[in-house]
Amino acid sequence: MIGRTAERFLLIFLLAIIAFPIAYALMASFFSPMDFTDSYAHFLPSSFSLDNYRMALGNRYYPQFIANSVITSVIQAFLRSAVSIAAAFAFTHLEFSGSKPMLIVLLVTMFIPPDALLYPNYSTIAGMGLLDTYWGIILPSVFSASSLLMILGAFRSCDKNIYEAARIDGSGDGRYVMQILLPMTRSIIAAVFLQTFITAFNSYLWPLLVTSRMGMRTVQVGITMLGFAESGEFGAQFAAIMMITLPFLIILVIARRKMMQALSDSIIN
Amino acid sequence: MKKAFSVFIVLLASALLSAGGSKEENTITIWHQFTGAHSDMFDEILDGFNETIGKDIGVTAEGVYQGAANDVLTKVKAAAGTSELPDIAAMDATACLDMKESDYLITADEAGIDKSILLPAAVRAFTSDRGLLAVPFCCSSLILYYNKTVFDEAGAEPPRTLDDFTAIAPRIGQRDSKGNVTRYAFAGTPTTYELGAFIGAQNGLSYMVDGKNGHFGVPRNVLIETDGTFRNFLVHWKQFYDTGFVLNTSDQMQEFAAGRSASMLNASDRLPTLQRLIGDRFEIATAFVPMTDENATGGVNIGGSALFMFSDSEAVKAFMDYILSLDCQRSWAEGTGYLPATSAVYSDPEFQEYLEANPLYGTAVAQTLASNPEVTGIWMPSGYQIYHTYQSEIREVTENGKDIDQAVHDMASFIQLQLDDYARQNTSK
Amino acid sequence: MKRQNTKAYLLLLPSMILAVLFSFLPLIQSIIGSFLNVSQQGKVLGAAGLDNYISLFSDKAFINSIGHTFLFLAIFLPLNTVLILLAAILTRRKRRHIAIAEYVFLIPMAVSLSSISLIFREIFRGRVSIANRILSTDLPWLESPGCAIFVLALLGVFLDFGIDYILLLSSFRKIDRSLIEAASIDGAGSLRTLFYIELPEVKPMLSVIIFLAIKDAIMISAPVMILTAGGPFRSTETIMYYYYLEAFRSGNRGTGSSIATLMAILAGLIMATMAARRRHDRENG
Repeated sequence: MIGRTAERFLLIFLLAIIAFPIAYALMASFFSPMDFTDSYAHFLPSSFSLDNYRMALGNRYYPQFIANSVITSVIQAFLRSAVSIAAAFAFTHLEFSGSKPMLIVLLVTMFIPPDALLYPNYSTIAGMGLLDTYWGIILPSVFSASSLLMILGAFRSCDKNIYEAARIDGSGDGRYVMQILLPMTRSIIAAVFLQTFITAFNSYLWPLLVTSRMGMRTVQVGITMLGFAESGEFGAQFAAIMMITLPFLIILVIARRKMMQALSDSIIN
Repeated sequence: MKKAFSVFIVLLASALLSAGGSKEENTITIWHQFTGAHSDMFDEILDGFNETIGKDIGVTAEGVYQGAANDVLTKVKAAAGTSELPDIAAMDATACLDMKESDYLITADEAGIDKSILLPAAVRAFTSDRGLLAVPFCCSSLILYYNKTVFDEAGAEPPRTLDDFTAIAPRIGQRDSKGNVTRYAFAGTPTTYELGAFIGAQNGLSYMVDGKNGHFGVPRNVLIETDGTFRNFLVHWKQFYDTGFVLNTSDQMQEFAAGRSASMLNASDRLPTLQRLIGDRFEIATAFVPMTDENATGGVNIGGSALFMFSDSEAVKAFMDYILSLDCQRSWAEGTGYLPATSAVYSDPEFQEYLEANPLYGTAVAQTLASNPEVTGIWMPSGYQIYHTYQSEIREVTENGKDIDQAVHDMASFIQLQLDDYARQNTSK
Repeated sequence: MKRQNTKAYLLLLPSMILAVLFSFLPLIQSIIGSFLNVSQQGKVLGAAGLDNYISLFSDKAFINSIGHTFLFLAIFLPLNTVLILLAAILTRRKRRHIAIAEYVFLIPMAVSLSSISLIFREIFRGRVSIANRILSTDLPWLESPGCAIFVLALLGVFLDFGIDYILLLSSFRKIDRSLIEAASIDGAGSLRTLFYIELPEVKPMLSVIIFLAIKDAIMISAPVMILTAGGPFRSTETIMYYYYLEAFRSGNRGTGSSIATLMAILAGLIMATMAARRRHDRENG
């Protein structure tokens, strides 16, 4: 019995630690500037007002930041899915020379950490004249070996006989992929898309380096430079944070099971 | 699937459209570090220019935020010699040494800016052996902010010297029954910026390095040890710290606004932010920076940033004329808390009225006008490292009882090392 | 079956181009660049031999950054491992209300790196911070070197918590129920079952998590930028933050390339060791 109580106590303690930062951020998004500098730090705002949210939305750049993030993340998720589907289809359904070495070449990239390649990649993007463009943000992370692996696994598990039957029926590869293969593997494709979208939306370092115009900043970079903190409006900063976090919290609640499944599969594979 | 595809095509098209057309003709690009209210204010100035003079001559000014002042310098250096270089960049004193040596800078003198309309101290702040390097724009100075409510209760006047500060510290500070400090007299650890005043003001005028603080020629020798200025400061500062009411911190804003320290030093343009953070919790007031001792009469130097030019087109000149106009300078100063860069504003009746209505802001103006304009900020290589070394040495002396002479020597040697490195690189070229 | 070379190559072309352009080529560039003298504007001035590496290792700031990175790792790794293990163990059995705990433990996944870094900066800001209030301490969190690296490690735990928790939890739940039931029929208490039956089963996954955590820890830079900018007194400058300063701030391409080369090799080795271990685990399991 003591074990049970101790277990419960420990769990509640852990939950409190993990939940605290986001709970504090939520509360702080209603703080007035004075609340932040009270000599006795609070957890609850002194009064309830949506002023901070109004101020964040009224910021000259904030809505643009969000638009930039959504656009680049959607394009990246789409392109990564498309590129991986094309490659995975070739590896699983087509016979060609050099298949094995090419697969190895692609998968070896998993062992090359992109963080160590920031400068040469920056130079490449700069050389292509893509600094401060959506393409500059998107291109370097379109290909991902782990996404390819996930889709490869899904395609491998599909029955090859269906493909043979479809070919005999005279339906082209394009039709087969769109009408049979993708619907059969849609949950994995959706997982790759969603995972890419989230990673792209939340990335910080790369967009920071390749953009310099405020109008091209993504929201993750942008929220650190809204300038609210410098003028003492910490509350608006937290409102800006909450507004980009909330959609993901909602996705999390809705898709918890599916996401847990897809994520654990993606590593285990 | 089809629907998703058409959505994608629309997104792609919009991405491509907005990605194009980034380099336009007849655009003046200005890199800056303004955020928040300052950024809004700056955009207003740009809009003002674009709707009037800009429209007449067919030029658009566009501001590009590039991160902190330091980041702007980094990006300017990286863009040097490429078409990426902006027409104008706002940078602070840390950029001056690099800019002075560069061949791509068009100095304010070369651009034909009329220096006579500018505030003498602001001109001095950005003058080198190449003349006036840039157009002073965001001028500020160090001032003492204090908690007037606390000072009044204690019957204390704002300190004139560090010794005054030492004397009143026990009265404006506070301890609880257990002896823990609940309110410090002062929060902050002085570093390059503060020492610009504490050292610069000594004996009427002192420099940290030769070449008038690196403004003329390549700085070769550190002066803070031989002149005894750093030692003198540390002696007085240590006495002040030993009252037990000085808090070493680099976030003095938070401590001061929370009422946990009765005073702090900060840039004059932080006033609007402070007022927002403090609200009606206590009354805040401003005063001149305390002198190190009775001989330290030099006052403070002008800090902040200036507009460096990399293009000598007529359009840039027209933009500079606009930005230095009376109206523009006055509204910029009143909107941001910076000091006006042109002399005419100071005698303008509307500005006088503003000063009367905002006495806290007036302190910085009065202090600047009372200071020796020859007291200037330091131009040093490796500013970042020196900044931290000053803070560490002061902490060592105050908290860990490090010998003052040793600290002075270590500090001076460290700066000398940076100067030697810099001189080597700039003579081998 | 006839060969479909052209078609296959066409389908693989985008992947190959991207992999070469943004992975292999930059790696080769870094390696070659680390043995060259390159000016700030990118002009090659000549061969440098080992000069870039020698000057790198004679820079005190770089040596310090190695120390900070390993100090970070030393705090982060045990903290992270213990916390995710606890969270997964306490919620491994599906019971009433346990779903709520699952949601909470997943929250960190919904919060982006820059958001959580900003939140931490505020929680630990100054002596009047909420952290001091709750813990009844009077610590200068981000102002003193020892505390700042601890806060950074805590932030690191937060960044990885969600994904690590999912992996570990699903690994616990994949354990064959009959194993656990058999043990409890034999009269083994729940602690015994945990230590002798369940933990050995999740060990392979735990080692994956630890390898990934080590890799993430030695590559940490972005949280440093937002939380401390390397301060106070450069005490949280990690290797990759130092790389960022050198390559992007100071424009020292030679030094940048040598750090990139070393770190790419190090991270690659960690990943390869992990892959080898996994293969080994699988073959024996």
